[in-house]
Amino acid sequence: MIKFVVFICGAIVMSFEILGSRVLAPNFGSSVFVWGSLISVFLAGLSAGYYLGGKFADINPSSRKLSLIIIAPGLLLLTFPLYSAPITDWIFMKDLGVRTSPLLASSVLFLIPSFFLGIVSPYTAKLMICSLHTSGKTIGMLYALSTFGSIIGTLLTSFYLITVAGVNALITGQGALLVIISTPLFFKNLSCKPEDNPPGNPT
Amino acid sequence: MVQTIFSAFICFMLFPLKGLALEPTEKLIFEKNSLYQYISVIEDTVKKERYVRNQKREYAQGGIYVDAPDKLLFEFTQMGFVSLAFLDKDPKDVLFVGLGAGAMPKYFTGRYPDAVIDIAEIDPDMVSIAKKYFYFKETDRMKAYENDGRIFVKRTKKKYDWIILDAYQNDYIPFHLTTLEFLKEVKSRLKDNGVVVTNITSPYRNRFFDSMVMTYKKAFPHLAIFKGKKSANFIFVATASSKNKDKDVVEARARKIQSDRKFDIDLEDFASRYESSEAYEWGGAKILTDDFSPVNLYQHQKSGAQ
Repeated sequence: MIKFVVFICGAIVMSFEILGSRVLAPNFGSSVFVWGSLISVFLAGLSAGYYLGGKFADINPSSRKLSLIIIAPGLLLLTFPLYSAPITDWIFMKDLGVRTSPLLASSVLFLIPSFFLGIVSPYTAKLMICSLHTSGKTIGMLYALSTFGSIIGTLLTSFYLITVAGVNALITGQGALLVIISTPLFFKNLSCKPEDNPPGNPT
Repeated sequence: MVQTIFSAFICFMLFPLKGLALEPTEKLIFEKNSLYQYISVIEDTVKKERYVRNQKREYAQGGIYVDAPDKLLFEFTQMGFVSLAFLDKDPKDVLFVGLGAGAMPKYFTGRYPDAVIDIAEIDPDMVSIAKKYFYFKETDRMKAYENDGRIFVKRTKKKYDWIILDAYQNDYIPFHLTTLEFLKEVKSRLKDNGVVVTNITSPYRNRFFDSMVMTYKKAFPHLAIFKGKKSANFIFVATASSKNKDKDVVEARARKIQSDRKFDIDLEDFASRYESSEAYEWGGAKILTDDFSPVNLYQHQKSGAQ
Protein backbone atom coordinates (compact mmCIF):
# COMPACT_ATOMS: atom_id res chain seq x y z
CA MET A 1 0.00 0.00 0.00
CA ILE A 2 2.66 2.49 1.07
CA LYS A 3 4.78 1.44 -1.88
CA PHE A 4 1.94 2.25 -4.22
CA VAL A 5 1.50 5.66 -2.57
CA VAL A 6 5.20 6.44 -3.01
CA PHE A 7 5.00 5.46 -6.66
CA ILE A 8 1.95 7.64 -7.32
CA CYS A 9 3.42 10.63 -5.50
CA GLY A 10 6.62 10.32 -7.54
CA ALA A 11 4.55 10.18 -10.73
CA ILE A 12 2.49 13.21 -9.81
CA VAL A 13 5.50 15.40 -8.94
CA MET A 14 6.93 15.14 -12.43
CA SER A 15 3.62 15.11 -14.25
CA PHE A 16 2.62 18.26 -12.38
CA GLU A 17 5.91 19.88 -13.29
CA ILE A 18 5.46 19.19 -16.99
CA LEU A 19 1.95 20.59 -16.85
CA GLY A 20 3.35 23.53 -14.87
CA SER A 21 5.29 24.66 -17.94
CA ARG A 22 1.98 24.86 -19.78
CA VAL A 23 0.40 26.81 -16.96
CA LEU A 24 3.18 29.41 -17.08
CA ALA A 25 3.59 29.77 -20.87
CA PRO A 26 0.55 31.95 -21.63
CA ASN A 27 1.74 34.70 -19.30
CA PHE A 28 5.48 34.19 -19.13
CA GLY A 29 6.34 32.45 -22.38
CA SER A 30 8.70 29.53 -22.70
CA SER A 31 11.93 31.39 -22.13
CA VAL A 32 14.86 29.78 -20.36
CA PHE A 33 13.89 31.82 -17.28
CA VAL A 34 10.53 30.10 -17.15
CA TRP A 35 12.10 26.66 -17.25
CA GLY A 36 14.75 27.68 -14.74
CA SER A 37 12.11 29.04 -12.36
CA LEU A 38 9.90 26.02 -12.68
CA ILE A 39 12.61 23.43 -12.11
CA SER A 40 14.30 25.26 -9.24
CA VAL A 41 11.03 25.87 -7.42
CA PHE A 42 10.10 22.19 -7.61
CA LEU A 43 13.56 21.24 -6.34
CA ALA A 44 13.33 23.80 -3.55
CA GLY A 45 9.93 22.47 -2.49
CA LEU A 46 11.13 18.88 -2.60
CA SER A 47 14.34 19.51 -0.67
CA ALA A 48 12.52 21.48 2.02
CA GLY A 49 10.00 18.63 2.18
CA TYR A 50 12.75 16.00 2.46
CA TYR A 51 14.48 17.94 5.25
CA LEU A 52 11.51 18.93 7.38
CA GLY A 53 9.64 15.73 6.53
CA GLY A 54 12.54 13.73 7.91
CA LYS A 55 12.39 15.64 11.18
CA PHE A 56 8.63 15.37 11.33
CA ALA A 57 8.85 11.63 10.75
CA ASP A 58 10.74 11.19 13.97
CA ILE A 59 7.79 12.45 16.03
CA ASN A 60 5.23 9.65 16.46
CA PRO A 61 4.95 8.67 12.79
CA SER A 62 1.66 7.20 11.67
CA SER A 63 -0.07 6.43 8.43
CA ARG A 64 -2.88 8.72 9.53
CA LYS A 65 -0.49 11.68 9.56
CA LEU A 66 0.91 10.54 6.21
CA SER A 67 -2.56 10.61 4.72
CA LEU A 68 -3.00 14.21 5.86
CA ILE A 69 0.37 15.09 4.30
CA ILE A 70 -0.87 13.71 0.97
CA ILE A 71 -4.36 15.18 1.20
CA ALA A 72 -2.91 18.71 1.49
CA PRO A 73 -1.36 18.83 -2.03
CA GLY A 74 -4.34 16.76 -3.20
CA LEU A 75 -6.71 19.57 -2.28
CA LEU A 76 -4.37 22.20 -3.72
CA LEU A 77 -4.27 20.38 -7.07
CA LEU A 78 -7.97 19.61 -7.00
CA THR A 79 -8.76 23.33 -6.79
CA PHE A 80 -5.81 24.44 -8.96
CA PRO A 81 -7.89 25.78 -11.91
CA LEU A 82 -9.73 28.12 -9.53
CA TYR A 83 -6.66 30.09 -8.57
CA SER A 84 -3.94 29.48 -11.16
CA ALA A 85 -5.20 31.85 -13.87
CA PRO A 86 -6.03 34.75 -11.49
CA ILE A 87 -2.60 34.45 -9.85
CA THR A 88 -0.59 34.24 -13.08
CA ASP A 89 -2.67 37.01 -14.67
CA TRP A 90 -2.07 39.24 -11.66
CA ILE A 91 1.69 38.63 -11.71
CA PHE A 92 1.72 39.30 -15.46
CA MET A 93 0.01 42.65 -14.86
CA LYS A 94 2.54 43.58 -12.18
CA ASP A 95 5.32 43.02 -14.73
CA LEU A 96 8.18 42.32 -12.35
CA GLY A 97 10.61 41.47 -15.12
CA VAL A 98 11.43 38.44 -17.23
CA ARG A 99 13.12 36.60 -14.36
CA THR A 100 11.16 37.63 -11.27
CA SER A 101 7.69 37.16 -12.77
CA PRO A 102 7.98 33.46 -13.62
CA LEU A 103 9.97 32.79 -10.45
CA LEU A 104 7.28 34.35 -8.29
CA ALA A 105 4.48 32.62 -10.16
CA SER A 106 6.24 29.24 -9.86
CA SER A 107 6.81 29.80 -6.14
CA VAL A 108 3.20 30.67 -5.44
CA LEU A 109 1.77 27.82 -7.50
CA PHE A 110 4.25 24.98 -7.08
CA LEU A 111 6.31 25.41 -3.92
CA ILE A 112 3.73 24.21 -1.40
CA PRO A 113 2.50 21.14 -3.33
CA SER A 114 6.06 20.02 -4.05
CA PHE A 115 6.99 20.62 -0.40
CA PHE A 116 4.25 18.25 0.79
CA LEU A 117 5.08 15.68 -1.87
CA GLY A 118 8.71 15.89 -0.74
CA ILE A 119 7.69 14.97 2.82
CA VAL A 120 6.26 11.69 1.55
CA SER A 121 9.66 10.12 0.86
CA PRO A 122 11.33 10.37 4.29
CA TYR A 123 8.03 9.85 6.04
CA THR A 124 7.26 6.59 4.29
CA ALA A 125 10.84 5.49 4.82
CA LYS A 126 10.38 5.99 8.55
CA LEU A 127 7.09 4.07 8.51
CA MET A 128 8.58 1.17 6.63
CA ILE A 129 11.91 0.79 8.32
CA CYS A 130 11.39 -1.93 10.84
CA SER A 131 14.91 -3.00 11.34
CA LEU A 132 18.13 -1.10 11.10
CA HIS A 133 19.67 -4.18 9.51
CA THR A 134 17.59 -3.75 6.37
CA SER A 135 17.03 0.01 6.43
CA GLY A 136 19.34 0.56 3.45
CA LYS A 137 17.34 -1.88 1.40
CA THR A 138 14.06 -0.26 2.36
CA ILE A 139 15.25 3.26 1.62
CA GLY A 140 16.76 2.18 -1.68
CA MET A 141 13.54 0.52 -2.68
CA LEU A 142 11.51 3.62 -1.84
CA TYR A 143 13.87 5.88 -3.80
CA ALA A 144 13.64 3.56 -6.77
CA LEU A 145 9.86 3.38 -6.61
CA SER A 146 9.49 7.13 -6.33
CA THR A 147 11.83 7.80 -9.24
CA PHE A 148 10.27 5.02 -11.30
CA GLY A 149 6.93 6.69 -10.61
CA SER A 150 8.41 9.97 -11.83
CA ILE A 151 9.53 8.33 -15.07
CA ILE A 152 6.09 6.87 -15.68
CA GLY A 153 4.45 10.19 -14.77
CA THR A 154 6.71 12.07 -17.16
CA LEU A 155 6.20 9.71 -20.08
CA LEU A 156 2.50 9.21 -19.57
CA THR A 157 1.87 12.95 -19.36
CA SER A 158 4.04 14.11 -22.24
CA PHE A 159 3.36 11.19 -24.59
CA TYR A 160 -0.28 10.61 -23.96
CA LEU A 161 -2.30 12.49 -21.34
CA ILE A 162 -1.70 15.88 -22.92
CA THR A 163 -3.55 14.73 -26.08
CA VAL A 164 -6.61 13.44 -24.29
CA ALA A 165 -7.39 16.15 -21.76
CA GLY A 166 -6.75 19.75 -20.92
CA VAL A 167 -4.07 20.87 -18.50
CA ASN A 168 -6.57 21.96 -15.87
CA ALA A 169 -8.49 18.70 -16.06
CA LEU A 170 -5.27 16.72 -15.68
CA ILE A 171 -4.12 18.69 -12.64
CA THR A 172 -7.55 18.34 -11.05
CA GLY A 173 -7.37 14.63 -11.76
CA GLN A 174 -3.99 14.40 -10.06
CA GLY A 175 -5.47 16.14 -7.03
CA ALA A 176 -8.35 13.68 -6.96
CA LEU A 177 -5.92 10.78 -7.23
CA LEU A 178 -3.90 12.06 -4.27
CA VAL A 179 -7.03 12.40 -2.17
CA ILE A 180 -8.16 8.90 -3.15
CA ILE A 181 -4.89 7.15 -2.35
CA SER A 182 -4.53 8.99 0.95
CA THR A 183 -7.96 7.99 2.24
CA PRO A 184 -7.18 4.33 3.09
CA LEU A 185 -4.00 5.46 4.84
CA PHE A 186 -6.13 7.52 7.17
CA PHE A 187 -8.13 4.54 8.35
CA LYS A 188 -5.44 1.88 8.36
CA ASN A 189 -2.72 1.88 10.89
CA LEU A 190 0.25 0.89 8.82
CA SER A 191 3.54 0.74 10.56
CA CYS A 192 6.01 -1.81 11.87
CA LYS A 193 4.38 -4.63 13.73
CA PRO A 194 5.88 -5.21 17.15
CA GLU A 195 7.15 -8.71 16.20
CA ASP A 196 9.25 -7.20 13.40
CA ASN A 197 11.12 -5.18 15.93
CA PRO A 198 11.01 -7.06 19.21
CA PRO A 199 12.08 -5.30 22.35
CA GLY A 200 15.63 -6.11 23.23
CA ASN A 201 16.87 -5.80 19.66
CA PRO A 202 19.85 -3.48 19.56
CA THR A 203 18.14 -0.70 17.64
CA MET B 1 15.73 11.15 -5.86
CA VAL B 2 13.93 13.15 -8.49
CA GLN B 3 17.00 15.28 -9.03
CA THR B 4 18.48 12.74 -11.39
CA ILE B 5 15.61 13.26 -13.75
CA PHE B 6 15.84 17.00 -13.46
CA SER B 7 19.53 17.06 -14.18
CA ALA B 8 19.14 14.69 -17.10
CA PHE B 9 16.45 17.02 -18.41
CA ILE B 10 18.63 20.08 -18.03
CA CYS B 11 21.48 18.33 -19.81
CA PHE B 12 19.12 17.42 -22.59
CA MET B 13 18.01 21.03 -22.92
CA LEU B 14 21.46 22.49 -22.93
CA PHE B 15 23.31 19.91 -24.98
CA PRO B 16 21.09 18.47 -27.65
CA LEU B 17 22.53 15.74 -29.77
CA LYS B 18 24.24 16.90 -32.88
CA GLY B 19 22.99 14.14 -35.11
CA LEU B 20 23.76 16.24 -38.08
CA ALA B 21 24.87 14.58 -41.26
CA LEU B 22 25.92 16.95 -44.01
CA GLU B 23 25.54 16.31 -47.69
CA PRO B 24 28.87 16.07 -49.54
CA THR B 25 28.21 19.46 -51.13
CA GLU B 26 27.44 21.12 -47.82
CA LYS B 27 29.85 22.74 -45.47
CA LEU B 28 29.32 23.80 -41.91
CA ILE B 29 30.08 27.47 -41.40
CA PHE B 30 28.98 27.94 -37.82
CA GLU B 31 27.29 25.99 -35.06
CA LYS B 32 26.22 26.78 -31.56
CA ASN B 33 24.07 25.53 -28.73
CA SER B 34 22.14 28.63 -27.86
CA LEU B 35 19.94 28.99 -24.80
CA TYR B 36 17.08 27.51 -26.76
CA GLN B 37 18.32 25.34 -29.55
CA TYR B 38 21.12 23.90 -31.59
CA ILE B 39 21.77 26.32 -34.42
CA SER B 40 23.89 25.61 -37.47
CA VAL B 41 24.71 27.73 -40.48
CA ILE B 42 25.34 25.57 -43.50
CA GLU B 43 26.33 26.43 -47.03
CA ASP B 44 25.60 24.34 -50.08
CA THR B 45 28.66 24.98 -52.25
CA VAL B 46 27.04 23.73 -55.45
CA LYS B 47 23.65 25.37 -55.17
CA LYS B 48 25.32 28.44 -53.62
CA GLU B 49 22.72 28.61 -50.88
CA ARG B 50 23.16 29.25 -47.18
CA TYR B 51 20.77 27.98 -44.53
CA VAL B 52 20.24 28.27 -40.81
CA ARG B 53 18.98 25.05 -39.27
CA ASN B 54 18.21 23.36 -35.99
CA GLN B 55 18.85 19.63 -35.68
CA LYS B 56 16.51 18.47 -38.41
CA ARG B 57 18.23 18.92 -41.72
CA GLU B 58 15.02 18.92 -43.74
CA TYR B 59 13.70 21.98 -41.94
CA ALA B 60 15.70 25.15 -42.50
CA GLN B 61 14.67 28.12 -40.39
CA GLY B 62 15.74 30.43 -43.17
CA GLY B 63 18.27 30.94 -45.91
CA ILE B 64 19.66 33.02 -48.74
CA TYR B 65 21.29 32.70 -52.13
CA VAL B 66 24.95 33.42 -51.46
CA ASP B 67 25.32 35.38 -54.70
CA ALA B 68 21.96 37.16 -54.40
CA PRO B 69 21.23 37.72 -50.74
CA ASP B 70 18.39 40.13 -51.50
CA LYS B 71 16.30 37.49 -53.22
CA LEU B 72 13.93 35.24 -51.31
CA LEU B 73 15.10 31.65 -51.30
CA PHE B 74 12.25 29.74 -49.71
CA GLU B 75 8.76 29.41 -51.06
CA PHE B 76 7.13 30.04 -47.69
CA THR B 77 8.89 33.39 -47.34
CA GLN B 78 7.83 34.36 -50.87
CA MET B 79 4.30 33.14 -50.43
CA GLY B 80 3.88 35.01 -47.14
CA PHE B 81 3.97 38.31 -49.03
CA VAL B 82 0.71 37.47 -50.79
CA SER B 83 -0.97 38.57 -47.57
CA LEU B 84 -0.06 42.18 -48.45
CA ALA B 85 -2.78 41.95 -51.07
CA PHE B 86 -5.37 41.69 -48.30
CA LEU B 87 -4.47 45.15 -47.01
CA ASP B 88 -6.29 48.19 -48.34
CA LYS B 89 -3.23 50.39 -48.13
CA ASP B 90 0.50 50.08 -47.60
CA PRO B 91 1.35 48.74 -44.15
CA LYS B 92 2.93 51.27 -41.78
CA ASP B 93 3.36 49.23 -38.63
CA VAL B 94 4.54 45.68 -38.97
CA LEU B 95 5.32 42.93 -36.47
CA PHE B 96 7.27 39.75 -37.16
CA VAL B 97 7.10 37.00 -34.54
CA GLY B 98 10.17 34.87 -35.16
CA LEU B 99 13.16 36.17 -37.08
CA GLY B 100 14.67 33.11 -38.76
CA ALA B 101 17.44 34.33 -41.04
CA GLY B 102 15.71 37.72 -41.27
CA ALA B 103 14.97 37.24 -44.98
CA MET B 104 11.36 38.39 -44.87
CA PRO B 105 11.86 41.63 -42.91
CA LYS B 106 14.93 42.42 -45.00
CA TYR B 107 13.03 41.90 -48.24
CA PHE B 108 10.04 43.83 -46.95
CA THR B 109 11.94 46.88 -45.73
CA GLY B 110 13.69 47.06 -49.11
CA ARG B 111 10.31 47.58 -50.78
CA TYR B 112 8.53 49.49 -48.06
CA PRO B 113 11.26 51.70 -46.59
CA ASP B 114 8.76 53.86 -44.70
CA ALA B 115 7.26 51.03 -42.69
CA VAL B 116 8.21 50.61 -39.03
CA ILE B 117 9.07 47.01 -38.29
CA ASP B 118 9.20 45.31 -34.90
CA ILE B 119 10.57 41.79 -34.64
CA ALA B 120 10.07 39.56 -31.60
CA GLU B 121 12.73 36.86 -31.40
CA ILE B 122 13.28 34.82 -28.26
CA ASP B 123 16.80 33.69 -29.08
CA PRO B 124 19.48 36.43 -29.07
CA ASP B 125 21.81 34.10 -30.97
CA MET B 126 19.39 33.96 -33.89
CA VAL B 127 19.58 37.75 -34.15
CA SER B 128 23.36 37.79 -34.21
CA ILE B 129 23.48 34.91 -36.71
CA ALA B 130 21.02 36.68 -39.00
CA LYS B 131 23.24 39.75 -38.85
CA LYS B 132 26.53 37.95 -39.28
CA TYR B 133 25.64 35.41 -41.98
CA PHE B 134 22.43 36.62 -43.60
CA TYR B 135 22.90 40.37 -44.12
CA PHE B 136 20.14 41.28 -41.68
CA LYS B 137 20.52 44.81 -40.28
CA GLU B 138 18.68 46.64 -37.57
CA THR B 139 17.82 50.24 -38.38
CA ASP B 140 15.83 53.10 -36.86
CA ARG B 141 12.78 51.60 -38.48
CA MET B 142 13.52 47.92 -38.01
CA LYS B 143 14.30 46.59 -34.55
CA ALA B 144 14.58 43.09 -33.14
CA TYR B 145 13.35 42.63 -29.57
CA GLU B 146 14.66 39.75 -27.53
CA ASN B 147 11.38 38.46 -26.20
CA ASP B 148 8.99 35.56 -26.35
CA GLY B 149 6.46 36.32 -29.12
CA ARG B 150 3.51 35.73 -26.85
CA ILE B 151 4.82 38.09 -24.20
CA PHE B 152 5.72 40.74 -26.77
CA VAL B 153 2.20 40.66 -28.18
CA LYS B 154 0.64 40.82 -24.71
CA ARG B 155 2.83 43.67 -23.57
CA THR B 156 2.92 45.93 -26.60
CA LYS B 157 0.63 48.94 -26.67
CA LYS B 158 1.09 49.33 -30.41
CA LYS B 159 -1.35 48.27 -33.09
CA TYR B 160 -0.14 46.81 -36.34
CA ASP B 161 -1.31 46.71 -39.94
CA TRP B 162 0.43 43.46 -40.69
CA ILE B 163 1.54 40.71 -38.29
CA ILE B 164 3.63 37.79 -39.50
CA LEU B 165 3.68 34.69 -37.29
CA ASP B 166 6.61 32.46 -38.15
CA ALA B 167 8.12 31.27 -34.88
CA TYR B 168 9.36 27.73 -35.15
CA GLN B 169 11.51 25.33 -33.24
CA ASN B 170 12.66 22.71 -35.72
CA ASP B 171 9.42 21.74 -37.44
CA TYR B 172 6.92 22.81 -34.82
CA ILE B 173 5.36 25.99 -33.45
CA PRO B 174 5.69 26.35 -29.66
CA PHE B 175 2.27 25.48 -28.24
CA HIS B 176 1.58 28.85 -26.65
CA LEU B 177 1.78 30.48 -30.10
CA THR B 178 -0.94 28.22 -31.52
CA THR B 179 -3.82 28.75 -29.13
CA LEU B 180 -7.11 30.59 -29.47
CA GLU B 181 -6.14 32.85 -26.56
CA PHE B 182 -2.93 33.84 -28.37
CA LEU B 183 -4.72 34.50 -31.65
CA LYS B 184 -7.21 36.71 -29.83
CA GLU B 185 -4.32 38.62 -28.32
CA VAL B 186 -2.83 38.99 -31.81
CA LYS B 187 -6.17 40.18 -33.14
CA SER B 188 -6.37 42.81 -30.40
CA ARG B 189 -3.03 44.19 -31.65
CA LEU B 190 -4.27 44.51 -35.25
CA LYS B 191 -5.64 47.75 -36.64
CA ASP B 192 -9.20 47.63 -37.93
CA ASN B 193 -8.24 46.42 -41.38
CA GLY B 194 -5.14 44.58 -40.23
CA VAL B 195 -3.98 41.24 -41.55
CA VAL B 196 -2.18 38.37 -39.88
CA VAL B 197 -0.24 35.79 -41.88
CA THR B 198 1.07 32.50 -40.57
CA ASN B 199 3.34 29.86 -42.02
CA ILE B 200 2.04 26.38 -41.19
CA THR B 201 4.24 23.41 -42.01
CA SER B 202 2.32 20.23 -42.63
CA PRO B 203 4.22 17.66 -44.70
CA TYR B 204 1.05 15.63 -44.98
CA ARG B 205 -2.33 16.85 -43.84
CA ASN B 206 -2.02 16.22 -40.13
CA ARG B 207 -4.25 16.77 -37.14
CA PHE B 208 -2.30 19.87 -36.15
CA PHE B 209 -3.19 21.42 -39.49
CA ASP B 210 -6.87 20.53 -38.98
CA SER B 211 -6.83 22.15 -35.55
CA MET B 212 -5.01 25.26 -36.76
CA VAL B 213 -7.67 25.82 -39.45
CA MET B 214 -10.47 25.59 -36.92
CA THR B 215 -8.67 27.71 -34.32
CA TYR B 216 -7.96 30.51 -36.83
CA LYS B 217 -11.56 30.28 -38.02
CA LYS B 218 -12.74 30.75 -34.47
CA ALA B 219 -10.43 33.72 -33.77
CA PHE B 220 -10.84 35.64 -37.04
CA PRO B 221 -13.79 36.48 -39.27
CA HIS B 222 -12.06 35.34 -42.46
CA LEU B 223 -9.34 32.89 -43.29
CA ALA B 224 -7.75 32.27 -46.68
CA ILE B 225 -5.26 29.48 -47.30
CA PHE B 226 -2.46 29.26 -49.83
CA LYS B 227 -0.78 25.96 -50.51
CA GLY B 228 2.89 25.61 -51.31
CA LYS B 229 3.82 23.88 -54.55
CA LYS B 230 7.48 23.22 -53.86
CA SER B 231 7.18 22.85 -50.13
CA ALA B 232 4.95 21.42 -47.41
CA ASN B 233 3.98 24.89 -46.30
CA PHE B 234 0.57 26.44 -46.07
CA ILE B 235 0.13 30.16 -45.67
CA PHE B 236 -2.82 31.23 -43.54
CA VAL B 237 -4.06 34.76 -44.06
CA ALA B 238 -6.61 36.01 -41.54
CA THR B 239 -8.22 39.43 -41.45
CA ALA B 240 -9.40 41.48 -38.50
CA SER B 241 -12.17 43.06 -40.54
CA SER B 242 -15.37 41.19 -41.20
CA LYS B 243 -15.37 42.41 -44.80
CA ASN B 244 -14.22 39.50 -46.91
CA LYS B 245 -11.77 39.94 -49.74
CA ASP B 246 -12.52 37.54 -52.53
CA LYS B 247 -10.07 36.04 -54.96
CA ASP B 248 -10.52 38.61 -57.73
CA VAL B 249 -9.85 41.54 -55.41
CA VAL B 250 -6.76 39.85 -53.95
CA GLU B 251 -5.39 38.97 -57.39
CA ALA B 252 -5.89 42.50 -58.67
CA ARG B 253 -4.25 43.96 -55.61
CA ALA B 254 -1.35 41.49 -55.85
CA ARG B 255 -0.77 42.57 -59.45
CA LYS B 256 -0.68 46.21 -58.42
CA ILE B 257 1.69 45.64 -55.50
CA GLN B 258 3.88 43.50 -57.72
CA SER B 259 4.48 46.37 -60.14
CA ASP B 260 4.33 49.29 -57.69
CA ARG B 261 6.85 47.80 -55.31
CA LYS B 262 8.94 45.92 -57.85
CA PHE B 263 8.60 42.48 -56.35
CA ASP B 264 10.87 39.95 -58.05
CA ILE B 265 8.62 37.09 -56.98
CA ASP B 266 5.37 36.20 -58.69
CA LEU B 267 2.79 37.54 -56.25
CA GLU B 268 0.03 37.08 -58.78
CA ASP B 269 0.78 33.40 -59.10
CA PHE B 270 0.63 33.04 -55.34
CA ALA B 271 -2.63 34.99 -55.26
CA SER B 272 -4.09 32.60 -57.82
CA ARG B 273 -3.70 29.80 -55.25
CA TYR B 274 -6.22 31.56 -53.01
CA GLU B 275 -8.54 29.07 -51.35
CA SER B 276 -11.25 29.75 -48.83
CA SER B 277 -10.62 27.90 -45.59
CA GLU B 278 -13.85 25.99 -46.15
CA ALA B 279 -11.94 23.59 -48.36
CA TYR B 280 -9.86 22.60 -45.35
CA GLU B 281 -12.31 22.79 -42.48
CA TRP B 282 -13.04 19.63 -40.61
CA GLY B 283 -15.60 19.87 -37.84
CA GLY B 284 -14.03 17.04 -35.89
CA ALA B 285 -10.81 18.97 -35.28
CA LYS B 286 -10.35 20.35 -31.80
CA ILE B 287 -9.72 24.03 -31.27
CA LEU B 288 -6.35 24.59 -29.60
CA THR B 289 -6.42 26.50 -26.33
CA ASP B 290 -3.98 27.33 -23.56
CA ASP B 291 -5.57 24.45 -21.70
CA PHE B 292 -5.41 21.94 -24.56
CA SER B 293 -2.81 22.11 -27.31
CA PRO B 294 -0.94 18.88 -28.06
CA VAL B 295 1.03 20.40 -30.94
CA ASN B 296 3.80 17.82 -31.16
CA LEU B 297 1.55 14.82 -30.90
CA TYR B 298 -1.00 16.16 -33.38
CA GLN B 299 1.75 16.68 -35.93
CA HIS B 300 2.32 12.97 -36.05
CA GLN B 301 -1.33 12.04 -36.43
CA LYS B 302 -2.99 11.96 -39.82
CA SER B 303 -5.72 14.43 -40.59
CA GLY B 304 -9.17 13.26 -39.67
CA ALA B 305 -10.62 15.04 -42.68
CA GLN B 306 -10.18 12.32 -45.30
